[in-house]
Amino acid sequence: MAPELNLLPARPASRRAFLQVILALPALAMFQSGTVSAPKSKADGIIEVNGWILKRSDLT
Amino acid sequence: MIFEGYESFRASGFQPKVIVIGSGPAGTTIARKVAQAGIPVAIFEAGGEEYSEESQDVYKGKTVGDPYFDLDVTRLRYFGGSSNHWAGWCRVMDALDFEPKAWVPHSGWPIRRSDIEPYLDEVHDILDLVPFRDDIAISDDIRWVQLIKSPAVRFGEKFRDEIAASKTIALVLNTYVTELQGDGTQLTGARIWSQGKDQGIATAEYYVSCTGGLENSRLLLWSNEKSNGGVVPHAAALGRYWMEHPQFEGGNVIMNSATQFEMDEVSEAFFSPSREAMEREQILNFGIRFIQMPYHGAKWLVAELACVAPETAEWLSEELGARLRCAAQLYVGWEQSPRADNFVALSATERDALGIPRVELHWQKGELERRTLLEGLRLFGKTLAERDYGRLRIADWVLNGDPYPTDQELAGHHHMGGTRMGNDPATSVVDRNCRVHGMRNLYVGGSSVFATSGQCNPTTTIVALAARLGDHLARQVSQSAMLGKS
Repeated sequence: MAPELNLLPARPASRRAFLQVILALPALAMFQSGTVSAPKSKADGIIEVNGWILKRSDLT
Repeated sequence: MIFEGYESFRASGFQPKVIVIGSGPAGTTIARKVAQAGIPVAIFEAGGEEYSEESQDVYKGKTVGDPYFDLDVTRLRYFGGSSNHWAGWCRVMDALDFEPKAWVPHSGWPIRRSDIEPYLDEVHDILDLVPFRDDIAISDDIRWVQLIKSPAVRFGEKFRDEIAASKTIALVLNTYVTELQGDGTQLTGARIWSQGKDQGIATAEYYVSCTGGLENSRLLLWSNEKSNGGVVPHAAALGRYWMEHPQFEGGNVIMNSATQFEMDEVSEAFFSPSREAMEREQILNFGIRFIQMPYHGAKWLVAELACVAPETAEWLSEELGARLRCAAQLYVGWEQSPRADNFVALSATERDALGIPRVELHWQKGELERRTLLEGLRLFGKTLAERDYGRLRIADWVLNGDPYPTDQELAGHHHMGGTRMGNDPATSVVDRNCRVHGMRNLYVGGSSVFATSGQCNPTTTIVALAARLGDHLARQVSQSAMLGKS
């Protein structure tokens, strides 16, 4: 985990940037979500989840 | 020399050895090559120096099958032809595009890329191109390819003064070749309509049809019908094996680094498959247009997060254990397989102002095209993930096999096939030299001779093939002259 002091960017973050973070969380969280359904193996270490082409380690 | 109509041309007494029909990239290039050898050549251009609705009306037609552009919008009928609305994107077809592939019916050309490579220096001069760089393999499956966005040469503008000053090229505007006449072994003349009336028959030793990727088929189909097979004696493939480049948005990508690939001036890069990957997956060639930073919807929000607020994204990424940076949108343009049931026909009901049947285009994408889109995206996504360049998401409609969207680009305005090149007259119309099978003196220029479509924009290859055909014609005329003297 990043130190608390580094949580914010060097520049002051705008309200818009915070809004963006909040709105984008669901998309980024997909990489660690537990909603994986029937992964399709395409090659060693590569899986397909809901259209995302991921490394298996993305989900661990 | 430039003539405004056929009557002033006839009055000039100019006697061409070669008649070229059409003044687009193919026709202009062939005429210039022939003229450079000191051989008199006439270009008959159906339109004038500028766009006119009256001329453009001839290009109206109907499409049966998949949604497509209006046929009088997707091409232009005046000096310079469709170069007048060309976007200028350049790339020569890959060597693998010319080779036969066991998994693609009717694939393979009778020539190889090496047959046109000697002409690429000329092509660079004609199209004002910088040299291409070699492809860069980013994995065993994917090549990072170069597509040059050139200044988009308008052939009418670039070569007007040269043609006007030439004593060996006669450009005859407003001159519509309504019909070719032949006896099944050679062409005997071209019927001309100009200045509001039938002007009779124009003759030369050689004729080259360069009227475009739809119109070449129309002219030859109509001429063959009128002459009972005297223009294209082996007509089984005439009008058939017509191809386009389907183009749709296929997905998006979250990148590890915004500087992973060198983007062009509008933040785009292009990727294609290796031959081995195509063979393994049994798919066609494709080109992925990687556009950094989408601009709308949910994708815009992700892009904004990763590209505009990178520090915040970095913190968030670390929190999540991922390393995500920047987003991109993926457009895919891909090869279409040559199929006899995609074809140009003469309309049974619609005719132009002179009574000549309009084009009826029968076109649809098949299962192989659909599979190429999906498996191509998977290949690219696999490379991005394996190399940790980023992560790709395939669009839902592609993944679910839904119908193609109708609110996207649809295709590339690339009209290919119809008079395809080949060794077998049963499945082709012209031979390796673009000469119509069985006809001594009739040739075809332009993308209608493409045996396969490859994945890239066709103009660069059109001009290379035209330079090669111009060279061939110049040798043919010279040999004929020598035989005549002996």
